[in-house]
Amino acid sequence: MPGGIAFEFPQLYLTGLWLTIQISVLGLFGALLLGTLVAVLRVSPIAPLRWIGAAYVEFFRNTPLVVLLFFLFLGLPLIGLRFSTDTFENIFRAAAVGMGLYHGAYVAEVVRGGLLGVDRGQIEAARSLGLSYAQMLRYVQLPQTFRSVIPPLGNIGIALVKNTSLASTIGVAELLYAAEIVESRTFRAEEAFIAATLLYLALTIPLGIAVNALERRMLVAR
Amino acid sequence: MRGFTRAFALGLVLAFIATACTSGSTTPSPTVAASASTSTRPKFDLATYQYSLQTKGRIRIGTQEDNPPFSVKNPATGKWDGFDVAYGREIAKAIFGESDDPDKNIEYVAVTSATRIPSLTDNKVDVIIKTFTINDDRKKQIDFTDVYFRTGQRILVKKDNTSIKEAADLAGKTVCAQRGSTSEKNISDATSNAARLLLLDSYPACLLALQQGQADAVSTDETILFGLASKDANTKLVGKYFSTELYGIGVKKSVGGDRTGFVDFLNRTQVAMITTGVWATLYEKYISPVSFDKKRTPDD
Repeated sequence: MPGGIAFEFPQLYLTGLWLTIQISVLGLFGALLLGTLVAVLRVSPIAPLRWIGAAYVEFFRNTPLVVLLFFLFLGLPLIGLRFSTDTFENIFRAAAVGMGLYHGAYVAEVVRGGLLGVDRGQIEAARSLGLSYAQMLRYVQLPQTFRSVIPPLGNIGIALVKNTSLASTIGVAELLYAAEIVESRTFRAEEAFIAATLLYLALTIPLGIAVNALERRMLVAR
Repeated sequence: MRGFTRAFALGLVLAFIATACTSGSTTPSPTVAASASTSTRPKFDLATYQYSLQTKGRIRIGTQEDNPPFSVKNPATGKWDGFDVAYGREIAKAIFGESDDPDKNIEYVAVTSATRIPSLTDNKVDVIIKTFTINDDRKKQIDFTDVYFRTGQRILVKKDNTSIKEAADLAGKTVCAQRGSTSEKNISDATSNAARLLLLDSYPACLLALQQGQADAVSTDETILFGLASKDANTKLVGKYFSTELYGIGVKKSVGGDRTGFVDFLNRTQVAMITTGVWATLYEKYISPVSFDKKRTPDD
């Protein structure tokens, strides 16, 4: 049976899968929050805020994720910062933070596109009705944005789940790490990585289906 | 542009003369050095691989660019140095005769751990001298010489660490090693899985984790730890070997007699290096500064 090797090393694969899920969920929440905030900054009427938003996007979008993870793991301690005094808690948090920061840049660009896609007339109407800028964002611009950006956000979510595999480079014992350990113990490379691939698919395919369903439910006739 | 063309033409002429001198052609050699070198040339059986290397005037040695103290390529000068490199020069001398500059007969090929076997089987190099552990899986694909260096797994800790002295002390400690290496498995075995393993992609990253206190120890082949210790004076090696690694020189398997007598020749060269004390000199020059011990043979 393809992937049957996972049942020979259930401990490694299960803890790996669980860590992958944890990093994915935390990273996704972080990315959505950060990305939305940065997108709002990027379309704000105040120029310095737009600059900050643009700087964030350019920095994190153009930094390789592995480099970012290594910086969070081995670079921050050089300036006296650490997410936790426990090494393994530290690398786990560094991975989650790295996922959030990196994918936040992509979310920001998608959400910015959505914000700009909302008809200018609606924004002007909301403002002329006496809504503050914040109220207009909250009640008019953002709700319409999220409906329209669900498919691209789904793409980013799936990419994020797969990118968590890079956390293995800083020693996080997630799914890919489990496969590599099993490979080095058994020399059965194909089986070890097929098992990991199937488990990644078990996460990403349902995620894709859920995003499609959400998209259909949120669909508005225009 | 004309200056360049002239320099190029001059270079061609010089290269032609140099080739003429070293190829041992029937033309009488005009220089004393060339005739001296031909007179000290060892004689080999015509069927052997070392004879064909001698005729070609060149041996291709595969080693790593950043594997101190065994092999290092100086990025500024392009000059190679280290135990494995010096060993390769001794082999070159054994083929081409005594020389002040054995490098003139050597073509260095940079390899990594992963490209060692393919570069032999694809005939890109004649020998691999690169901290190459002899094992049965590898022996199926290539030939090894006798052991030219014996080492084992040890432990690197910070200088002020007094709690880790032997492999058993690693239980409960955070130990850094390379993911997918035998080192990692040896640590687990030595501590009955009680060590907390931080597995990264490279040993320099492990050293950084050790310096920052994110790892209590780094453990792998002593040779690699020598290299790390030489980069950071605040570290020290502790403990006895808790695994044995035997290094050999890798050679392509002889197919249709294309490597006849080569492994035997390399083994004889090593025996000579040990009896004449050359091996001990190399050890003292390259290994003793980091290991603080002396050896006369690989088995000491």
